Amino acid sequence: MSRDRDPTAAEYALRLLTGDELREADKRLEGDPEFAREVARWRGRLAPLHQEVEGVSPPAPLWERIAAGIGTALPANDNLAQLRRRVRVWRVVAGTMTAIAASLAVAFLAVPKTTVVPGPPVERAAGAPMVAMLGDEKAIKVVASWDPGPRQLVLAVAGDMPADPVHSHELWVIPAGGKPRSLGIMGSRKQMHMRLADELATLLQQGATIAVSIEPRGGSPTGKPTGPVVASGALRPA
Amino acid sequence: MDRAVISRDAARDELSAMLRSIVAKDAAALKTLYERTSAKLYGICLSLLRDEAEAQDVVQELYVTVWNKAALFDPGKASPITWLATLARNRSIDRLRSRRGTGAAEELDSALAVPDERPSSFEVLEQAEERERLRHCLEELEEGTRSAIRAAFFEGTTYPQLAEQSGVPLPTMKSRIRRGLMRLRGCLGQ
Repeated sequence: MSRDRDPTAAEYALRLLTGDELREADKRLEGDPEFAREVARWRGRLAPLHQEVEGVSPPAPLWERIAAGIGTALPANDNLAQLRRRVRVWRVVAGTMTAIAASLAVAFLAVPKTTVVPGPPVERAAGAPMVAMLGDEKAIKVVASWDPGPRQLVLAVAGDMPADPVHSHELWVIPAGGKPRSLGIMGSRKQMHMRLADELATLLQQGATIAVSIEPRGGSPTGKPTGPVVASGALRPA
Repeated sequence: MDRAVISRDAARDELSAMLRSIVAKDAAALKTLYERTSAKLYGICLSLLRDEAEAQDVVQELYVTVWNKAALFDPGKASPITWLATLARNRSIDRLRSRRGTGAAEELDSALAVPDERPSSFEVLEQAEERERLRHCLEELEEGTRSAIRAAFFEGTTYPQLAEQSGVPLPTMKSRIRRGLMRLRGCLGQ
């Protein structure tokens, strides 16, 4: 049967098959890349039907169950390799930037929209430096390095971040389980330094996500990200 | 700027980025993904299983799977949303079938099925054009074929069940649906 007239991929995507036919198609999915692609295409063709299904909020404790479920599934060995790779990339970038930093004026200064310091100062050990590789599925676009001592965040734009006259790139920190907080608008330079207010600095903890979104020129009008996130990554020990 | 103007590509990129962070074991990214997609996925599981406890079990398993297997997501093959929705649908259907004929699905307790009002990635992704084209192409099929395909999609109905429900021999049902699916592909022009 020619591929064009073979309905098996469609039947498989719809899950119509049973018994031997199903087992055979399962095997084909493993061993026949073109069949697997056609199954994926059929899933895409039928995907608009999912829009007919109404969303229903799951009960709140469901997330707790999932969090507990992944707690037992934490670090696998391949993470270590990944981390080493990240650190290696970071060292190359850091080397370049140290040279530039000496001659670079403060190119990027984030002014938090409010500077309310809540309550008495909390004693906080100056932690170890951290790094976040911000990217999308194709590439790392920005490397952010965070030094909690001087509260200094250094950004190196490594990838393609095209600017346009009506939009700005806005930088955010999203604490684990928390809401995004703006760190400021990114300029057009390849390297940027910023010193964070203490209130913001406390949010840059391991596991927090640093993200860049596209906003109307001058930044989000709402204080929350409103445009697409073009790069994001989690803070990890450098 | 309103969330609704976010383009489909941007929403897709955003979810792909979350999945990539999940590969790097970023639990915050999983939480964000959960917040953005769980209502739709729970809706899909509920509509197939008609049982809240089972649907919650499937959703729980699903996000744990995403945590462990996000690396299997291939952005070249599927959009992240289709990937997640397909996982939800397939797992629910597997569970339906493992019930082994325990009778008709029960009605949902409507008081507990609160429609979700948060903006989700699915609304952002809603593409009237694609949906309209699929609707049009399904309309082109014979009524019986169309409703069989819809039953397979929304209820997880198999060939033998469809044949039994319509009172036609299994081979007849198969060739009817196969013809319908090939016509559908021709109409969608992909």
